[in-house]
Amino acid sequence: MFAVLSVEARKLNRSLASVLAIAAPSLIALFVFFNMLRGKAAAPWEMWMGSASAIWAFFMLPMSVTALTALVAHMEHGPKSWDHLRALPLPRWKLYAAKAICVVAVVAGMSLMVLAMVWGAVAAAAAIKPELTPTGPFELATYARTMGMMFLAALLLIAIQLWTALRFASFVPGLVLGIGGTFFAVVATSAKQGVFLPWQMPINMLASEAWRVNTALGLGGGLGLVALILMTVHLSRREVL
Amino acid sequence: MSPAIETLELTRRYGRRLAVDALSMTVPQNAVYGFLGRNGAGKTTTLKMLLGLIRPSSGAARVCGVDVARDRLDAARRVGALLEAHGFYGNLSGRENLDLTRRLLELPDREIGRVLEVVEMADHAGRRVSDYSLGMRQRLGLARAMLGAPPVLILDEPTNGLDPDGIADMRRFLGELPARTGATVLLSSHLLGEIEQTATHVGIVHEGRLVLEGELARLKAGMAPEIAVETDDPARAAALAASRGFSVAEAPGRIIAALTPGDDARMASAALNRALVEADIAVFSIGPKARTLEGIYRQVSTPPVVQPLMQPELV
Repeated sequence: MFAVLSVEARKLNRSLASVLAIAAPSLIALFVFFNMLRGKAAAPWEMWMGSASAIWAFFMLPMSVTALTALVAHMEHGPKSWDHLRALPLPRWKLYAAKAICVVAVVAGMSLMVLAMVWGAVAAAAAIKPELTPTGPFELATYARTMGMMFLAALLLIAIQLWTALRFASFVPGLVLGIGGTFFAVVATSAKQGVFLPWQMPINMLASEAWRVNTALGLGGGLGLVALILMTVHLSRREVL
Repeated sequence: MSPAIETLELTRRYGRRLAVDALSMTVPQNAVYGFLGRNGAGKTTTLKMLLGLIRPSSGAARVCGVDVARDRLDAARRVGALLEAHGFYGNLSGRENLDLTRRLLELPDREIGRVLEVVEMADHAGRRVSDYSLGMRQRLGLARAMLGAPPVLILDEPTNGLDPDGIADMRRFLGELPARTGATVLLSSHLLGEIEQTATHVGIVHEGRLVLEGELARLKAGMAPEIAVETDDPARAAALAASRGFSVAEAPGRIIAALTPGDDARMASAALNRALVEADIAVFSIGPKARTLEGIYRQVSTPPVVQPLMQPELV
């Protein structure tokens, strides 16, 4: 499995995935930086880190997953390399599992980058305008925990997007699904049923009602893991004609 | 010694369409086996079943005695393949592309240098694949197929899309391949000339069925010899030849007289020539037709058509 993972990582490393992985958190950090410079009074750390996490979970995470999964799948669909890969003497499930692991790892890395870059952006803005230096404690453990929960709740949406992207040679079905899912997550934010929408599960980690948090986390994380396993089994067994 | 590749009543159905129909083929070890057929005849489907990429509806495929459906991994270890879609990552160099497959196969580093030398691509391995010509990509595909020195190479249309120089280059290379690598080569193509110049054995597939298989030299030797005659009066010449027991077909400006297998074409040519001259028919040229793979192919894959056989004329 290590060989397949290392090959997948090498392919990703030489693709535009790294640009995407850096661009999405950077955009949030950039927004926080300029937004903070517009302010007149200092605000607590919690507000900056909380709003950045919300932007991430609400919009940037589902859109990034849509783009990342399309990119990862298209690395093989584009040059039509599935036949070559699937003809090799190695269990096919490893090919798909390696892709899933890499995508999940990149999303985890992006989540951490959001925290790190937003901290950097706030610190930079405070250096330019010292009167805006955030108040209150910087509770890294709390922010990281929330971000971790968002990541876990996003597993189902990652599984659905990756499954679609790998299943169809065209990137259109995956993009339509991702854009559509994010659209409904945005326009129906306050809908009670939104907690069952995979694209809205990460943002539900910020909900004030405990049942919403628990339901979204349980469904997103638990079903997400099951969906990733089912995806691996399905794709490795199906014939690519 | 078990054959390098063997299929037994291999069948693949797509819905109602029968793509491969009870195909039984045998590729002897160390052969260059030309797998011939027009586009859509079932060649690629057969190759995909040999590689375990698609499952047969019925029948079996074996590589070096290993049943592909029962033990795909073991069978795949014995095969290297060059498929129509190369599947190279254009943003990576040739060497990096090979390295990805080498890692997946868990082979030592030196394998890359070895296969690059075999396909004479060592000087270009550092360039991005997107800058390669089609011929270079085909060679790189061959190099990748040879990683780990598998005893069987399956090459799907390796000359497809190449220019005449590329085809000549590839032909030379394929001809040398068994000697260089010791591998058995299964080569699919719809180009008769390519197969004729490189293959030791052929299998002809037509509408999903294997209609002919064997050693090329023997197949050619077994063909009924033919004599081509150019005369000033093809109609009379044909009638005369028919009266002498030849099966005669008219071609533009000449007649083709078919002999029975085993006949001496030179002696028959001399006799026919004498008869034509005695009948006051001018003979511009006469001689045995070369036995070609195309002739074999036409015989087995063309639907039978009524030849305009000439009736003997009463003289």
